[in-house]
Amino acid sequence: MSKRFVVPLVLLLVLTHLAGCAPKAKEPIKIAVQGPITGKWAYEGEGFVKCVKLLAEEINEKGGLLDGRMIEIVEADDKGEPSEASLVAAKMVDEGVVAVVGSYSSTCTEPASAIYNEANILQITPSSTATVLTTKGYKQFFRTCFLDDRQGLFVAEKFIEWGIEKAFFLHDNSTYAKGLAEWAMKYYEERGGEGLIDAITPGETDYTPILTRIKAAEPDAIYFTGYHPDGGLLLKQARELGLTPDILFALGNACNNPEMIEIAGVEAAEGALVSTEPLPHDLPYPEAKEFIEKFEAKYGEPPASIWWVMAADAFNVIVEAIKATGSTDTDKMAEYLHTEFKDYPGITGPIIGFDEKGDRLGTIHKFYVIRNGEFVPYEK
Amino acid sequence: MEFFLQQAINGITIGAFYALIALGYTMVYGILKLINFAHGDLFMVGSYLGYTLVIALIISGLIPNLLVALLIIFLMAMGMVALTGALLERVAYRPLRKAGRLAPVVSALGASIFLQNVVMLIYGPRYHVYPKGILPDIHWSIGGAYVTLVQLATLVISILLMGGLYFFIQRTRLGTAIRAVALDHDTARLMGIDVNRIITLVFLLGPALGAAGGIMIGLYYGRINFTMGWGYGLKAFVAAILGGIGNIPGAMVGGFLLGIFETLAAGYLPWGGAWKDAIAFLILILILILRPTGLLGERVVEKI
Repeated sequence: MSKRFVVPLVLLLVLTHLAGCAPKAKEPIKIAVQGPITGKWAYEGEGFVKCVKLLAEEINEKGGLLDGRMIEIVEADDKGEPSEASLVAAKMVDEGVVAVVGSYSSTCTEPASAIYNEANILQITPSSTATVLTTKGYKQFFRTCFLDDRQGLFVAEKFIEWGIEKAFFLHDNSTYAKGLAEWAMKYYEERGGEGLIDAITPGETDYTPILTRIKAAEPDAIYFTGYHPDGGLLLKQARELGLTPDILFALGNACNNPEMIEIAGVEAAEGALVSTEPLPHDLPYPEAKEFIEKFEAKYGEPPASIWWVMAADAFNVIVEAIKATGSTDTDKMAEYLHTEFKDYPGITGPIIGFDEKGDRLGTIHKFYVIRNGEFVPYEK
Repeated sequence: MEFFLQQAINGITIGAFYALIALGYTMVYGILKLINFAHGDLFMVGSYLGYTLVIALIISGLIPNLLVALLIIFLMAMGMVALTGALLERVAYRPLRKAGRLAPVVSALGASIFLQNVVMLIYGPRYHVYPKGILPDIHWSIGGAYVTLVQLATLVISILLMGGLYFFIQRTRLGTAIRAVALDHDTARLMGIDVNRIITLVFLLGPALGAAGGIMIGLYYGRINFTMGWGYGLKAFVAAILGGIGNIPGAMVGGFLLGIFETLAAGYLPWGGAWKDAIAFLILILILILRPTGLLGERVVEKI
């Protein structure tokens, strides 16, 4: 192209652009990654950015989306603080992003989601599990993680599958543990099991009274949903009182911590099950193996947390919505995700779809069993 | 029956710890009318010292004989916590003795937070676990109920310590001096008793017993944490009031009763596990309404 043509062409472009009717063919598609990129959870926020950038670069190398528009990742650091989350969300709205992956914690996602809803920008959180987030009637809010009740459903279904007729659900009266225990019991009873429920006071050192009562109730399984220091002591005292190994002892994901085994002792912890989201390297899907390989090749280490991979899935879902609707229009994308988006092969497992509130259907939880003081995936 | 027996054993074990700690509260109250809120934390310090000494003396193989090693650990930890208790009295309570009743209580709360933070900064905030397998794992099944040797030993040691204390208070000259100071500081001073030394003595005895409780909790349950003093302290305080604060046999009775109440509530009532503390405190309130001086508060005229 000779210079003679360039100057008028540029002028023409500028003028048409000012007139507001220019074809936006090469304008990048901006997608924000919001999370605690600095601060106490920086580890998670950085992981989000690493995963999303890896996928975006790959798409850009192949020519981008929507006839050659490149994806531009905008980092939105909310430091894990709710006040920062609102500020940075407002900044992203000004920035003109079409979709957001994030934020990490529910306390940050909540204020940010109000702003993105106001501006009508698609938002997918990879890791905020609080039930309240999807009860606000936001049409453009989704999540690739699962609600707390999904874990309860998973445990209930497994208990029924294993022929457990009577189960004792034990929590510690914290919002999280109580919710999980109640969900698990509800689903278990709906499926024909006989459920009993009670609570301990966390931080105490002697749980033999409640354990003796559980023993007298003769359940086939116990499910404790509280935190690991109490889980460890419960395992120890359950073994001493002779509840285990005859009664199956399962614990929730707040007990997914090696310190629990230290407190219980290797012997008393042997054979206990822990229900939790799988670690990235235990994901059995080909998409997961491929992604982890690419991640390792680029960053020299595998993704450390399941939430990072959930962020990758959130990004993929956005890309899928843009491709399928052929636009970056929020209403079209949200409508597509609510209705047509089905059985997508996600890295964290098949994404069956989203319900009308924007919650992901299905579950990815699995059981780990403690063998010789180590957590290993459990198959039965 | 098997169920009741097991719950009774559970309750007595828990109660023995409450009783040991309650003694420290009740003695200090008897002599100074002060509620030493730092007492639970002294018990916690005892537990951590025990942990350190178990690692230094038993796990390292320094003292091969288990009984000798345990004896040394108990004596050392009890001695160190006793000195800490006496130091606390000298620094945090004695300067405020004439300042009314509120100031020393605030000072006690401050001392409690101070001790917790010192332990947290030295050992770190995570849970610590006493090494496994140092005590022989011997247990019996009595009528279907499960009893361990450690449990039995804990109970015997607690009762011996409490019995020893009772004997000391009732039958020795120093014990008589303690009782005299508890009745009236000024009259005791007129009788030639060094009141300050007697108060120091009480602040040596209570924490030493607490430290013994702390080590036994570590050996028996395994898990210790720098915040554990608060929960146990509160329960022991309730036990002391239940039995009649200022009264030594009252603290023992109160401790055992509270342990048994709690356990039976957790064992027999629906939702008992979640509500057991509420039930235990409800019983406390009822007893205080019906007998404001506690269970043994009137039967024994003398305080302490």
